[in-house]
Amino acid sequence: MKRILPITNTVIAVISGVFVILGYFFPGSFGGIQSVLIGWAIILAAFALLLGIFNLAWVHWKKVSSEGKGHVYSIVLLISMLIMIVVAGISGPTSALTLWIFNNFQVPVEAALLALLAVILVYAGVRLLSRRPKWNSILFLVTVLLVLLGAVPLYFLGTIGPLNAVHDWLTQVPAVAGARGLLLGVALGTVATGLRILIGSDRPYGG
Amino acid sequence: MDQALSMVTSYLGFLFILLCLGLILFFCFSDSAREKIKLRAIQAFSRYRREVDLAVEAGKRLHISLGRGTINELQGGSAFIGLTILDRCARAASNSDRPPIATSGDGTVMVLSQDTLQSTYRSLAAEQRYDPTNARFTGLTPIAFAAGAMPAIHDEHVSANILAGHFGTEVALLTEAGERSQSLTVAGSDSIPAQAVLYATAEEPLLGEELYAAGAYLGGGLAHTASLRMQDILRWVLVAAIIIGAILKLLGILA
Repeated sequence: MKRILPITNTVIAVISGVFVILGYFFPGSFGGIQSVLIGWAIILAAFALLLGIFNLAWVHWKKVSSEGKGHVYSIVLLISMLIMIVVAGISGPTSALTLWIFNNFQVPVEAALLALLAVILVYAGVRLLSRRPKWNSILFLVTVLLVLLGAVPLYFLGTIGPLNAVHDWLTQVPAVAGARGLLLGVALGTVATGLRILIGSDRPYGG
Repeated sequence: MDQALSMVTSYLGFLFILLCLGLILFFCFSDSAREKIKLRAIQAFSRYRREVDLAVEAGKRLHISLGRGTINELQGGSAFIGLTILDRCARAASNSDRPPIATSGDGTVMVLSQDTLQSTYRSLAAEQRYDPTNARFTGLTPIAFAAGAMPAIHDEHVSANILAGHFGTEVALLTEAGERSQSLTVAGSDSIPAQAVLYATAEEPLLGEELYAAGAYLGGGLAHTASLRMQDILRWVLVAAIIIGAILKLLGILA
């Protein structure tokens, strides 16, 4: 059984993958089976999400029971999770109470972390110069500064024409060209990764 | 006319995929006789290998974050690279007291990371080392995912973080956690905003297709080096196509 299962997994994955990819290129012939397979994948993904939530609760339960570092936060997480499951389970995910909890707890906490992110990015920009004092780091920081200065009206000075023009040129020419170059590399890498799974060379499903 | 154009595009796309597949298979067969294939040095992977050895010696842990991309969408491609890295890490640290941990922000990727760890330990005849809580789902929203992964970096004696998957700008929270816990961070993503953030914040950023070369650099096998060679060839083809297109446009031949 231990030998048969990985082979079966591989065969199922490869055949499903081939049908899905053929469905993209020849929707007339393979579109139907592709839709069915993608539908199944969506149902499985929803079930995997439940497993993920169970995993999250289990990890934090273990932390609480072993009184690991920061286990108090795990208690808060488990209690919050329980309250949210009960409230959303009884009154529905879009009820006034569920949305009130979401808007008054989740949203402010995430907004606070986003604000922290802005500080971290500024600090990282400064640290970059000491970590990698090279010309490309300086170019990176000067570009960031120019784009930021050109993006918004400045205090007392308002909008500065040449800075705006530099901002527009930087965002529309070198940034787009660079991003497209990176995206082409990413696209080739994604195709290669997909093909390795299709030929059964990479088997991230316990094969 | 539109239908004919769409058909031609479909056939061209399919031919491109067949070309990629053909090149991978060709290099798989042609390279199988070669002893070693020389790859250009990428500092991030050299440091990663050194850090794995140090982690095993010091009894520390490796943390691999697979991002929050779902495999039902395009972003899943980079998560698969993360899974390859997870497999290599689990193998390299199989003698360590502390097995590697994986974090992700998608249920399917979490299940796959559990599967990867289990099958890796099974292949090493060390299935008793498998603990499902070492592959963790940390949160659904981008910020929740990052906030959930940060304690793993801070509290679990992590010596190196490998971030490989789909992230947004929230990845800076993870790199900052790595910085504060004085652990190495090697990071790459398929997302352009995340790459910009990683360039500034990560100790060893992987830009563009460097992330997709991870399997070949970490000893993932012949298919990984073959696909890397396929990418190299097609990159030059794309460069030539772009230059020819630009020249034709400049001459007014292309509309």
